Amino acid sequence: MRVTAIRFICAVVLVSLCVSSSLVGRSAASLSPLLNDPFYGISPQDENYYRISSNTIKCKDGSKKFTKTQLNDDFCDCSDGTDEPGTSACPNGKFYCRNAGHAPLLIFSSRVNDGLCDCCDGSDEYDGEVNCPNTCWEAGKVARDKLTKKIATFKEGVHIRKQQIEQAKLSLANEEAELSKLKDEEKILKGLVEQLKERKEQIEKAEEKERLQREKEEKDKKEAEEKALKEKSDSGKEAKQENKEADNSKSEDKSTDSTDDEKIKVTEDSSSDQNMAEGYDDPAAKAEHSDASDNVQTPSNEHAAEKVDQSVSPKSEDNSAVVSEVGHDAGNEVSPDEVTKVETDASESTKELSKEELGRLVASRWTGENTEKQGEDGSQDSDHETHEEMPEDTYDEEDGRYSSDTDEDLEDTRKYDDTEKYDDTGKYDGTGKYDDNDIEDDMDDTYKEEDHSYKSDIDDEVDLSETTNPSWLKKIQQTVRNILQAVNLFQTPIDKSEAAHVRKEYEESSAKLSKIQSRISSLTKKLKHDFGPEKEFYSVYGQCFETKENKYVYKICPYKQATQEEGHSTTRLGSWEKFEDSYRLMIFSDGDKCWNGPDRSLKVKLRCGLKNEVADIDEPSRCEYVALLSTPALCLEQRLQELQQKLDSMNKEQPQRHDEL
Amino acid sequence: MRNLDIVSLLLLVILVSQTPVLSWKKEEFRNCNQTPFCKRARSRNPGTCSLFADHVSISDGDLTAKLFSKNQSHDSIKPLILSLSVYQDGIMRLKIDEDPTSNPPKTRFQVPDVVLPDFLSKKLYLQSLSTETIDGDAGPSSIVYLADGYEAVLRHDPLEVYVRFKGSNSRLLSLNSHGLFDFEQLREKSEGEDWEERFRTHTDTRPYGPQSISFDVSFYDSEFVYGIPEHATSLALKPTKGPNVEESEPYRLFNLDVFEYIHDSPFGLYGSIPFMISHGKSGKTSGFFWLNAAEMQIDVMEDGWNAESGILLPSKQKRIDTFWMSEAGIVDTFFFVGPSPKEVVRQYTSVTGLPSMPQLFATAYHQCRWNYRDEEDVEQVDSKFDEHDIPYDVLWLDIEHTDGKRYFTWDKILFPNPEEMQKKLAAKGRHMVTIVDPHIKRDESFFLHKEATQKGYYVKDATGKDYDGWCWSGSSSYPDMVNPEIRSWWSDKFSYDNYVGSTPSLYIWNDMNEPSVFNGPEVTMPRDALHLANVEHRELHNAYGYYFHMATADGLVKRENGRDRPFVLSRAFFAGSQRYGAVWTGDNTADWDQLRVSVPMILTLGLTGISFSGADIGGFFGNPDTELLVRWYQLGAYYPFFRGHAHHDTKRREPWLFGILCCLPVLATAGFSRSKYRTYERGHTCSYMLLPYFYTLFREANTTGIPVVRPLWMEFPSDEVTFKNDEAFMVGNAILVQGIYTERAKHASVYLPGKESWYDMRTGTAFRGGITHKLDVTEESIPAFQRAGTIIPRKDRFRRSSTQMVNDPYTLVVALNSSQAAEGELYVDDGKSFEFLQGAFIHRRFVFSKGQLTSVNMAPNSSGESRFSSQCIIERIILLGYVGGSKSASIEPVNQKAEIELGPLRLQGRNGPTVATIRKPGVRISDDWTVKIL
Repeated sequence: MRVTAIRFICAVVLVSLCVSSSLVGRSAASLSPLLNDPFYGISPQDENYYRISSNTIKCKDGSKKFTKTQLNDDFCDCSDGTDEPGTSACPNGKFYCRNAGHAPLLIFSSRVNDGLCDCCDGSDEYDGEVNCPNTCWEAGKVARDKLTKKIATFKEGVHIRKQQIEQAKLSLANEEAELSKLKDEEKILKGLVEQLKERKEQIEKAEEKERLQREKEEKDKKEAEEKALKEKSDSGKEAKQENKEADNSKSEDKSTDSTDDEKIKVTEDSSSDQNMAEGYDDPAAKAEHSDASDNVQTPSNEHAAEKVDQSVSPKSEDNSAVVSEVGHDAGNEVSPDEVTKVETDASESTKELSKEELGRLVASRWTGENTEKQGEDGSQDSDHETHEEMPEDTYDEEDGRYSSDTDEDLEDTRKYDDTEKYDDTGKYDGTGKYDDNDIEDDMDDTYKEEDHSYKSDIDDEVDLSETTNPSWLKKIQQTVRNILQAVNLFQTPIDKSEAAHVRKEYEESSAKLSKIQSRISSLTKKLKHDFGPEKEFYSVYGQCFETKENKYVYKICPYKQATQEEGHSTTRLGSWEKFEDSYRLMIFSDGDKCWNGPDRSLKVKLRCGLKNEVADIDEPSRCEYVALLSTPALCLEQRLQELQQKLDSMNKEQPQRHDEL
Repeated sequence: MRNLDIVSLLLLVILVSQTPVLSWKKEEFRNCNQTPFCKRARSRNPGTCSLFADHVSISDGDLTAKLFSKNQSHDSIKPLILSLSVYQDGIMRLKIDEDPTSNPPKTRFQVPDVVLPDFLSKKLYLQSLSTETIDGDAGPSSIVYLADGYEAVLRHDPLEVYVRFKGSNSRLLSLNSHGLFDFEQLREKSEGEDWEERFRTHTDTRPYGPQSISFDVSFYDSEFVYGIPEHATSLALKPTKGPNVEESEPYRLFNLDVFEYIHDSPFGLYGSIPFMISHGKSGKTSGFFWLNAAEMQIDVMEDGWNAESGILLPSKQKRIDTFWMSEAGIVDTFFFVGPSPKEVVRQYTSVTGLPSMPQLFATAYHQCRWNYRDEEDVEQVDSKFDEHDIPYDVLWLDIEHTDGKRYFTWDKILFPNPEEMQKKLAAKGRHMVTIVDPHIKRDESFFLHKEATQKGYYVKDATGKDYDGWCWSGSSSYPDMVNPEIRSWWSDKFSYDNYVGSTPSLYIWNDMNEPSVFNGPEVTMPRDALHLANVEHRELHNAYGYYFHMATADGLVKRENGRDRPFVLSRAFFAGSQRYGAVWTGDNTADWDQLRVSVPMILTLGLTGISFSGADIGGFFGNPDTELLVRWYQLGAYYPFFRGHAHHDTKRREPWLFGILCCLPVLATAGFSRSKYRTYERGHTCSYMLLPYFYTLFREANTTGIPVVRPLWMEFPSDEVTFKNDEAFMVGNAILVQGIYTERAKHASVYLPGKESWYDMRTGTAFRGGITHKLDVTEESIPAFQRAGTIIPRKDRFRRSSTQMVNDPYTLVVALNSSQAAEGELYVDDGKSFEFLQGAFIHRRFVFSKGQLTSVNMAPNSSGESRFSSQCIIERIILLGYVGGSKSASIEPVNQKAEIELGPLRLQGRNGPTVATIRKPGVRISDDWTVKIL
């Protein structure tokens, strides 16, 4: 403290000295004429380095030595700035300000005597060009108050964090236990299902044999009759044809996907195939689509065809308005080639453009904007960047489901199909769905809330509620045993009710198996996630955090994805990728593509807070978002201690009264 | 070949750039064949000119004559008036116009406010002419004095005007030597004649019909011609016509807003300066300038282009022929005799004006982006520079800062407190630039539109109504800037009262002033639009942006009552723009070719008077990778105008994001790992070291016209190897810079001209002059050398902005030549005001010879009240190539000693080379002194 006071007086004296006299041709090889204290600008921890008995001091980088008179002589001798801690002579130097009453600060040498007050104690400006009053106590008070609050938050946060970690460990243990139990059950059940399947197939074989036998008998009978009536050749032909028809009807349900070899997957594949076809709202895909659906005349397919027609109609009605066509295409994230083509088309037929339309069209090159959109913006386009990314739906009025974003169209359409068709038929109980985790990851995350058939893996605990009863497995085992004993395979004709029983039991068991398998897969997937070194992020798994900024709602779901929603249109900002920067940053990547830009991505900076809360979402670079998330997970004990120490040190040093001034 | 090149280039651009839209809409712009005057002129054969001169006399100090046609069949052909005047310093002006007494239907447009009034006062009043019969001509030629050693010759028949060396047959410059002169006189439309011109959907009514002018100009003893910006092409202009040139367009001069322009094309870009310079083996240079603001097309002829014409020039000298065509206006041409490159530029700028002296901050680094979105963003970017200890001086706001593209307004949501924002920057010595474009939103509630409409200040369309075009602001009109009254009105808009939210630290950017009109023909204003006094837009198109720039710069002068030097960056330019501010090369693209072409583009601008220019660092369109961006910063640090800029679709690329730092930041910064940073020594901040040198060069340009960056041949006019070199350039007379224009370059071939050696600016190593060196290059820097025999003033302390460097001490880098001598200069003033015009500056000449360095005053002994003083001292004198082993020096007249030791050449490099350094001489820059090595 004493030292500080003396230094302060020195500085004041020097200032007046400098103002009153100007030194010409200052003598070389001495302390900077403005400094009396050779140790100016050195941090207390560092002073010992300089206070050595020998006359020379080494540059810290070992490059050179300098004499004590060269310390702070306003001439740079060490390239790392060792010899000039108190002046601006070295570009790599650092200057230490004590800032008594506030926090000490290490600043770039370039700030020393540059005319700007950087240290609250004013110690960085001593050449008399400016007067920097000591503001440390006032500024320090504000900082201390802030720090005190922060510490309070941390204290509570550390507590919450601990609880959450304990909770997380318990839950994780439970889930691991469940997983291993499920795996055991799966093994057993699998065996049973195999047995049932075998039995079922045997039954079916027997039934088939029976049927063929019957057919043969009938046929023989018929042939005999016909032989009597008709010539031989005619009758042979017809029989052949009939046979063919029979074959066709038998394989009807795989007609949508004739190329598929894996019979088990047939239904699943055909469904996704249909989804894709219907999802296209690109009129160009119409032909393809109708090809695909030619031989499947289901109501939903008809509907899909209708829909495609609808989406085409505005275009065909509006053939002459080239600009609106451009706008439509631009809004739909067309490929670069298409854009070029359309633009060329448009410029070739500029005769049909009004002057205004031409103006907009040319402007859109620089902005990459939907020209139609820009027109609307004409008077209020301050935020046209966002317009561009979220072009409004051209067909909104006709059909609420249509959005201009192709991806969204796809999703929306699929959503529609799922609820209307697949659930009604009851065929798709999710058996195949969870077989392929990739599909789940890629496609169905967005609409899990609306559509129960696309559950997120968090929800499907409900599904397994019945299976959690330990007795069920025994029951099934018992039942199966009974059945297998009861059914007499060699009985002819086969007992129909028993056959039905086998089938029913087989279906139920395999349904159960698949449920268990899906639960296993989702649990495995969940447990594979990185919940942080202390599992402190476990609690945010399955949660989403929202914030509203202007007209957008941003939704961040850790381990899943992040979206930006405006009304019913959703833009994916990215899928969960990983933590970075020692768990202080969440990375979401591979979001929806930006028109004329990169794929969207989001970085979430984490900080300590009592609740999980998103704040300050921002787009510093086009389509690269940054958000701030407060979370107890970041309230680290160690950091709390650091803050506490900082506060203590700030409280310790009272600044000197400014009596000298 | 050329067409093929363009196609493959296009493909390359498409492949390389990530922008999905096809670049350069070639079909949107007229080529020569689609431009009737160009097509007519270009298809004419040599020798078709039938004019001859008569009534030759001296009148009012000029040589005057009437030009008659030998084909008197046409009644409509009336004699033309020719006048030839001579000015000091070897400048000849030749004007040819219609005879006003013959009552032409309209007065042809002569571009006002380009030629300096000062220049007119330098006219030499010719007293007499002599006559001579040349080469067996039937008639005489008239000869007048031009300058010592030069004569101007008017050959009467066939008509020819040329400059020759006195009393010899040796020519310098000539006009109409090939008989291609043609002057379409204005006339009444004859029955059934259709004067309209259609291009795409646009119709040009052309009410005055054909009125074009064309002629050939020959440059003698020349290997190459240069100049006539703006084209993205080589420095030495390639021939556009000749036996080995396949289809090529002529060089076009027509100011256009070209979307994603390509390099290596004669296509006209944003600005036009019809000034050409020739240079040849003799080391001699001459220049030709045609003051005409209508569309111009210029062919550069390859040898043998006229093999079939049968015209034999009387001179056997090696020459380059060129062919100039303009749609309208008059012949108002200037011939500059040189004989050195610097003298030609000096002569040209004595006609069109010297480059203005910029403020110091404007010569430092500018950070721009379309767009820094809001005040928070501005604050963020600003603080990031500080966090990384990267200096910068100016932060820019593009069009999005306005309220709906109404210039002079602010978006109230994004920029609610513009004054406070500017004051925050100003508190750190930083400045701000906002954009003001010429398209004014047609919105009744917009004060500017209301006023301009009421006062009738807009350019009119062909029918006389306010012209209504489309630009950023939607439906827009354009003030008629050729009218001085309207310019004055416009300049008043920059007062702090009128431009609400502006502060003294705010300066201006004029974009889109070609003018750009999105729905106009060729993305500009229709040629039949009408300006003051029914001047058609076609007649002044190329000068519109010039007048706009002028009015804006005047506005900034006015707002501070003439105390503060303006800073206005313009995209469009014309001859004379150098008087009003800086220009940049427009919307370039992030690719290596565009990095390369930026050098010839900037050198060409410098040759034609515009010293203060630069290219957008990083490339406006597209995303440069780290290597390209780093290379661009390394090169851009030597552009006279040093600005990073980017399109709004690109990723952020502020320097710290790419590790472009000079000094490793030692303070830990959150969110960034240290390993990300590499030091790029000449990347960015080190350019601040050279600010005193640059500022001195800006002053040189301001007094002589000699540009800050120069082609090698300007410094080494007799060194043939340099004539085509546009990959390397000189900064002043002391520094040679070689850009690196390829990816992952490991080596660079650098030709170092002259007999003296060169010192690597990073290592201090000496390299022999006169040979090409193959050098290893690293990512750290691009090759740069200090020429032996020069002295460069530096400031080695790093600050946040140039403002904080004002009181910092200097370092002098003395690069000794083979006779252990060197010279250099330092110019310092207050960096801001016009006081320097009253002599308030320090100008020193440093001379090192015979072991002593002397500072000599170059400033005139100012007797006036304004004086500039500085307490700045010299902290270090570095001696490169010093052979003595002395350990100390004495400083006179104070009689003190200073040590000589081995010190670093550059402070920031670790374990860098060491060189002889005079430690702390402590002498003031404002004083006379001598440092003697003992």
